[in-house]
Amino acid sequence: MSSDQELIPMLQAKLGGSIIVQADKLGKISLHVEADAHLDVLRLMKAADEKTAVSAITSVDLGDKLGVLYHMRTSHGIITVKTELSKENAEIASITNILPGASFHEREVFDLLGVSFRGHPNLKRLVLPETWPEGVYPLRKDVNAASVQQVSPSEWSQTGNEEDGNLVKVVIGPQHPALLEPEKFTLKVEGETVCDVEPRIGYVHRGIEKAAEGRTYLQDVYLVERICGICNSCHAVCFCEAVEKILNLEVPPRAKYIRTILLELNRLHSHMLLLGHAGLEIGYETLFQYMWRDRETVMDLTEMLTGNRVIASAIAVGGVRRDIRESDVLTIKKSMVGLRAKMEFYKQLYHDDPTLKMRTQHVGTLSRKDALDLCVVGPVARGSDVDIDVRKDEPYEAYGEIPFKLITYTSGDSWARLMVRLDEINESIGIIEYALDNLPVGAYRVRAPRIVPSGEAVNRVEAPRGELFYYVKSNGTAYPERVKVRTPTFANIPAFVKTAVGENVADVPANFVSLDPCFSCTDR
Amino acid sequence: MLCDWFERKIEARIQNRVGPKFTGPSGILQPLADFVKLLAKEDIVPVDTKQLIFNVAPVTAFTIILFAFCFLPIDGSTVIPGASFQGDLIFVMALITVANFLLFLSGWASVNPYSMLGAARVLTQFLGYDLPLLFLALCPAFLTGSLSLTEIVAHQTIPFVVLIPWAFVLFIITMQAELEKDPFDVPHAESEIVAGYETEYSGRKLAFLKLARDTQIVFGAALVTVLFLGGSSGPVFFGANAVWGTLWFLLKLIVVIAISEYITCLFARLRIDQVVSTNWRWILPLSLLSLASTMALAFWVYPAVM
Amino acid sequence: MISKAFAHLFKKADTEKYPLAPRVPAEGFRGKQVFDINLCISCGLCSRDCPAKAIEMVEVAGKRHPMFYLDRCIFCYQCAESCPRKAISSTAIYELATTSKASLVLKPTSELKEARETSATQQPKPGA
Repeated sequence: MSSDQELIPMLQAKLGGSIIVQADKLGKISLHVEADAHLDVLRLMKAADEKTAVSAITSVDLGDKLGVLYHMRTSHGIITVKTELSKENAEIASITNILPGASFHEREVFDLLGVSFRGHPNLKRLVLPETWPEGVYPLRKDVNAASVQQVSPSEWSQTGNEEDGNLVKVVIGPQHPALLEPEKFTLKVEGETVCDVEPRIGYVHRGIEKAAEGRTYLQDVYLVERICGICNSCHAVCFCEAVEKILNLEVPPRAKYIRTILLELNRLHSHMLLLGHAGLEIGYETLFQYMWRDRETVMDLTEMLTGNRVIASAIAVGGVRRDIRESDVLTIKKSMVGLRAKMEFYKQLYHDDPTLKMRTQHVGTLSRKDALDLCVVGPVARGSDVDIDVRKDEPYEAYGEIPFKLITYTSGDSWARLMVRLDEINESIGIIEYALDNLPVGAYRVRAPRIVPSGEAVNRVEAPRGELFYYVKSNGTAYPERVKVRTPTFANIPAFVKTAVGENVADVPANFVSLDPCFSCTDR
Repeated sequence: MLCDWFERKIEARIQNRVGPKFTGPSGILQPLADFVKLLAKEDIVPVDTKQLIFNVAPVTAFTIILFAFCFLPIDGSTVIPGASFQGDLIFVMALITVANFLLFLSGWASVNPYSMLGAARVLTQFLGYDLPLLFLALCPAFLTGSLSLTEIVAHQTIPFVVLIPWAFVLFIITMQAELEKDPFDVPHAESEIVAGYETEYSGRKLAFLKLARDTQIVFGAALVTVLFLGGSSGPVFFGANAVWGTLWFLLKLIVVIAISEYITCLFARLRIDQVVSTNWRWILPLSLLSLASTMALAFWVYPAVM
Repeated sequence: MISKAFAHLFKKADTEKYPLAPRVPAEGFRGKQVFDINLCISCGLCSRDCPAKAIEMVEVAGKRHPMFYLDRCIFCYQCAESCPRKAISSTAIYELATTSKASLVLKPTSELKEARETSATQQPKPGA
């Protein structure tokens, strides 16, 4: 936190009394500013550290006011900048001219809580369907989501073979073989070159954030786990850690190591799934089948440890629900050795195969500057030479004690992003082996109280797709006041829009798959 | 259809899977089952399509390829005896071109952006690759001094794959492109444009489109067999000449299909501009080169072969 | 890749032969629940804590016991954890697909007997 200790005095010096610095009981700094004064704060922060990015923008219904929280990610952690707006006049200046990557975040706050952002280039509905009535904001406390009547929209957007001058509209989605989950991307194509991409997300929006407010913390662990099938443990760990921060609860060391192992198994599963899927997108079905055959090993291990091949349900507030037995440790180790040998083959394939390289190299290149401006996270950022990784920047669970390498590639194209994931698989195998060798003895769970005292916490973990961000606010009951989830793919989709423009339409799937889209995460 | 089953089994085995299994012994009836199922499905014709071409193209394409089959010498002489004539090699190649063009038309007639893209890609691809295909097909013709398929087969005392192996390799690669198989299967790239020119088809017409494609693949393999592998020549052990000829033909056909499928499994799919540039930069010059070298070779080989 | 692809032509397929051969899940698999009515003390904690609201307390012979709606259940086994008497436990039965919704309701009466019967006859027929 050393540079934050320099940052705060610098901001105070330049802006004086317009910012109020508060530290909560865990030492987390948050800055309270007047609405619109936040622009100066963010501008100074970005100037001080180029890796400053907006991690999430949360909006909270505070009863008579609306709070807008900008969670800014610096090289060392999260600093929250808080403002408050009145409900009648919920308007604030947009930060997209400082950080273009905030566009999706602001649109979501507009959609779900009704805060309008002055100066936003495209302030339209994002996650709610077209049949949702205007002016009804689901995350406000006075709205009961189940009783909202759907309306027929005044005009449906026509999707057809419209010609717009020379431009043909090619619609990818919502149902399309290239997409694992439904989202709509409208490409405007001239010949074979893409001129514009308009994403429409929200097809998998299930209102998880609202649902989380109606369930106890105990039940919410299972709810957030099901935001995404592939990174389910990451969601569970992130939520539980946030609640543990509010409770000031220390998790036993053995639980931390077991959680790390589960998280890394998740990462293995996810990266292998993606590398196989990338093969499928570019027509390389053999690679797809081989990779998914090897992924079965990881799923069998997850089944052995948690009772289910995909959704682990093994994390709880205060630790993990099951212990690892000695026999499990041996099985895992044997599988890891086999997996490592198989990864050699894939690494060589990705390096040598001519058709694969022809399809992924120099495709979808994202420059380092764009990566920083668009606030991308995860392998998408690391493929463009931005070295951010929550496991290294703000170690959680057992990552502070386990040595591993941070993988970056400089070329910024699809191939680089896929190679980052491939190398991360090898690192994950190493992390699991180290964790198994150094597993502490002792309890694997402590009892957590059901009623959580008033407070709030932010927490992030490194999901396979990037930084996963949670903000939990509690109000002294057994039900959370606000749960905000910002998933990595949500932050990465604007980057796809940027890289697809100007490229061949045939490159769109290869480009798209390299950012590892997970729409269940995006929409929640 | 047998070849389709064989292809799918090989692809499955290479990919460590099982492939068709339940329909008939070892799944051999699977392609037939798929065909019959499609015949029974509802045939939906979107309102905006150019009705005549949309309805007629699939069956016509299939018919033309079947017609081209008549000229292939399967058991020493052609399927319809006496149908061969001088120049039927060129005729057969022209028929394939027409059939491919019909496939393009079927995509163009369905007014759907995916089909249009697919149709445009089909056209670009097969028009480009027709040239090297023709040049390479002429290589065996030069070696035997005749343009009749039957005569080319008859003169292969040594299979031409031994004499002009470079032409054989190039021909197989070019044939992959003509047949739209990996790495050249961009016209019906599933993950990008759904099903290319097949997108709007359903029911009976789709059944025939697929059958046309399968027949095309078999025909391509048969052409390779005839031109380079000596067609139906092979040792006769006992019984009728004609039976053994057919048997050897089928055997060689299956080997060619196996090789073709193996290549399909090995590579990813190239983009259309990469396909086109591969053609003009590599395949065409190489095919011209191989034609020139075959012509040079023919001076020595011709007397020996005749 | 070239040699590997060729080699695979002659190897056995990696696909498991389910449903012709049974697939036994790992130990600790979270499958269908089995409920021991003799251990239940009618506290209702399972029903209160269920994240999917899949447990309803019903009257059986004067006492309240849980009834499981398996079509709502997410098989997280929070109920088993919350139960102070460990009356709920898991089996390895995962073939729960059925054509009648009524069969997906685990009533608290004949559960133990039903579970024993089903696991004994757990040999799926080929082609099913």
